[in-house]
Parts: sequence; structure tokens; C-alpha cells
Amino acid sequence: MEQLETFIVESPDATGAKTTRSLIQDTIADLSLSRAIGRLKVFVDPVQPVFIFAALLRMGSPSIKLKDFAKVEMGALGKDEVRIEVDREIHVVKLLNKLWDKYGKENIEQPDRKIIVVKTDPLKDLDMLRDLVIEEPHQEVLDRLIDAIALRIIPEGFRVRKHELTNSYVLFIASEDTLKPEWLAKGKEILASLGSEENA
Amino acid sequence: MLEPMMYIGGAYKHSQLIELVEDLGGYILQKNIMQSEVVLLMLVPINDLAMVEKKSKDLLGKLTRAPLTGSEIATVAPTLAYHHLPHLDCDVAEFLRKQGAKTNMVGLARGVGKRICQLTAFERDLINEHDVAVFILGNYEHCIIEKSKKLYEGIEIPIVVTGAPELKTEDVPNATAYVGSFGRILHHMRHSEELKTLDKLSEVIGKVLDDVRIGLAKDPPSVAPPRIKKEIEEQIPEIVDNLHPLPITLQMNGVRVKLPYKEYYEQMENIKFVEGVTLKEVARIMPSKMRDFILIKALPKSETGFVI
Repeated sequence: MEQLETFIVESPDATGAKTTRSLIQDTIADLSLSRAIGRLKVFVDPVQPVFIFAALLRMGSPSIKLKDFAKVEMGALGKDEVRIEVDREIHVVKLLNKLWDKYGKENIEQPDRKIIVVKTDPLKDLDMLRDLVIEEPHQEVLDRLIDAIALRIIPEGFRVRKHELTNSYVLFIASEDTLKPEWLAKGKEILASLGSEENA
Repeated sequence: MLEPMMYIGGAYKHSQLIELVEDLGGYILQKNIMQSEVVLLMLVPINDLAMVEKKSKDLLGKLTRAPLTGSEIATVAPTLAYHHLPHLDCDVAEFLRKQGAKTNMVGLARGVGKRICQLTAFERDLINEHDVAVFILGNYEHCIIEKSKKLYEGIEIPIVVTGAPELKTEDVPNATAYVGSFGRILHHMRHSEELKTLDKLSEVIGKVLDDVRIGLAKDPPSVAPPRIKKEIEEQIPEIVDNLHPLPITLQMNGVRVKLPYKEYYEQMENIKFVEGVTLKEVARIMPSKMRDFILIKALPKSETGFVI
């Protein structure tokens, strides 16, 4: 696992902090999130009770479009078809699934491993197909991140939650009781401290 | 007095050991043959233990005391969410099973939180059908103590609690025993320290069960549970075709029979012993909270006035 830049678990209960740290490590490893999280700070006080999870994210790769890995051209002269020639086969499965959903299996032909022919009006659909988004690593990472934090890391009993999720950071505040303004302020403070470390 | 023992050895000639134990008046509770190896869980009369030890030595097998044998243990998790499963809870349940116990996993409906946790009447009754309940709790001392104050309400069987901090048993309210170094662990427990922790848990549960045995010995059941098991196997042929794991599960003072209550309770009541009594005279036959199974609890000597 790639080491996080900052990984702090703060709690008045030292044993609890240690176990929580190990469980966060396990979850991050399980969901392969170590590259997506840059800095991470958790504050837990079981007496109050409050659980604050703040992390700065490093969202790497942008979404992958069809034109990024394939040549999209008009098909044979006089026929209503689009010919796609794929360079990297790794995305073919997802591409085929998307095309099948859109045009139906009967309208997709694959005469060769790297060639896909779509029976459609090329004038109308060519540009649209070029910009077809095949994979959104970004969104997938966010989904996994929410899965990790909300469903695995935060103690189950902490059902009252507030969260902020952007492309650069995530902040979760959870408790068993009604959230207090000072906890929200503390969450902001932790997040700010993570940010300032980055500037330093 | 019968001693719970586990024999691990080669399959070759192991039937000689089975015959010996049966001749001595002991019981074979479980026989697992894995390729050329056999694992026997049995109850051996304590006075004849030396003979069984000698026989197992002759067969080049290993005979160890397995205090968890013949008990049914409930491993209770606050819920069945990813927080507790599959790791930890399954690890604990599997480990105790390897030691000879029958474990049932119970996930509570509203077991989460230290303030909001609850136990429903059904869950309470279901857990009370077991010999010991193992509550698998989390990381924080404060939460474990607060939760223990109310979660175990109405549970009459011994309660073993696990959690991350190293607490003394007397610090955890309502618990019979507490085992630390667990907590919420999200990986398979396989490191040597973690295995030691599991060993410690089974040792603690073994002690708790020994205390239960001592308590039972003061007013012994009128009929030994393995005896009930043997008679059911001989007199109710349907049990042979039963596909449930351990169709007759032994408990400290009774058995759980995995047959529908409505259809079979009369047959159960009329099971005859060679001493001339029927089962209903020496045991209570009740519907179990688990599916539609039958729960049989042996009556103590003080109620019937005799032991068969």
C-alpha cells in the first residue's frame, strides 16, 4: 500500500485510536483507495460521542472517452455504419456493453478483435460516439470512498451524519446524538489544518 | 462424570477407539473424516480416561481435552453489516467450532450504538436457548461499558464479551467474562498474536463452561444429553436423513433436534429408555425459537428424584 502523506487518528482513548487506525488501513487497502486519499485525519471521542473524518483527495485520471483510445470513422461507402478501430483492448468490454445498451446487439458487429461496426447513421452519430464516455475513474473512486467511509469506517451506531464531498476533499461528521455546532466547527478546523499542511 | 475429549489421528483402525469409548459408557458426539485423518469429539468417563489415552497412543493419534465439546454457543454481533462481518465474527465462530463447540451466529436488529441499542424479546429468547453467548463488541472502552449496562437485559446464560481495550471483567457490567485485544477488526485473523487472542477466548469460554458443568453437577440432569441424542438416533429413523448440520445438537443440559416440532413432539415425548421411563418424564420438550425445531431440556434430579 502506498503510504498516505498524513494519517492521524486522534482520540482520548488510545487503544481505540490504534484499532480504528488499523481498521481504516484495512478498508483503504480493501477498496484500493490509497492513491485517491492524500491526507487523512480522524478525530473520535466516544464519550461525547462524535466521529470526524477529514481527507484531502487526489483525483488522478480524468474520464476516458472513445476518441482517446480508438479511431472512429465512417463505414463502407453507401452503408449506414460507423467503424471503430480500437487501439487499446482493455476498454473493449465496457465499450461493447455501452454500445449494446444503446443500439441493441443486432446492430453491433465485430468482424475482428479490434474492429467494431455500428449500424447507425454516421452523419448523425459520429461526433456523439467520439465523445462517448467509456470510463469514469473519478466517479468510481468517489463511490468507493463513500462506501469506505459511510458503510465501513464510521461506527454503525453513529447514525446522525453530515458530509461535504467535493473533488478535492471529503468531510464526514457523525454522531449518535444531534450534531452540535462545535463539532461542525471542529470538522472545518481539522480540514483547514490538513490544507495548511499542504501549503507548508 | 464424563470428560469432553478430542481425538485427532489417522483414519486407520480408528473404529477401535470408537468401540472402546462406547464400551466404556462414553459417547461419540461427532466424527469428521478428512481424507486419511479423523477428528473425533467424544465424552469419556473420567475414571477410564487412562485406557482411552493408551489406545490413542497405540494408534499414534493425539488426544486432547476439548472443554467446548457438547456445547452450543451463540456469537452475537450488533448487526449483520459489513462492520462486523465477514471477518472477526466468522473468525470467532469458526475458531470455536474447531474447538468442538456448535456455534450459531446471531445478528441483532437494533444492536448498534451505546445509547440506542436494544435487544428484542425474540432475540433474547433465542440467545437464552444457548449455553453461552459471546458478544463481539468494538474498539472503545466507554462504548463497551455503556452498552453492557443495558444490552444484556434478560439474558440468563453466561455472557462473554470481547472488545479492543484490555479491561477487567468486573469493569464490564453484567458480563461473566471479558476478553480484550479484539475490537472491530476488518481482516482475517491469522497473525500469530491474533491467533493467541482467539486461543485466549476459547480458554476463557472453556472455563465458563466448566463452571456451568460444576453448577450442573450439584443438581445433575435426570438424563445425560448424549444419552437423549443416542436414543433419538435409535428410535427416530428420520433423523438419519436430516440434512441440517448436526441434526441433534448437544447442549450442556439438553439437545436441540432439527425436526419440525408439530410433527415430531409426540414421538419425542414417547422415546423409551431401558430403565422403563419415557423422555417426557425426564425432560421438557419445547418448540425452539430457531425455525420450527425442537428444544429438549433435561429436568434436574431435584424435580424427578432419580437419575438414569
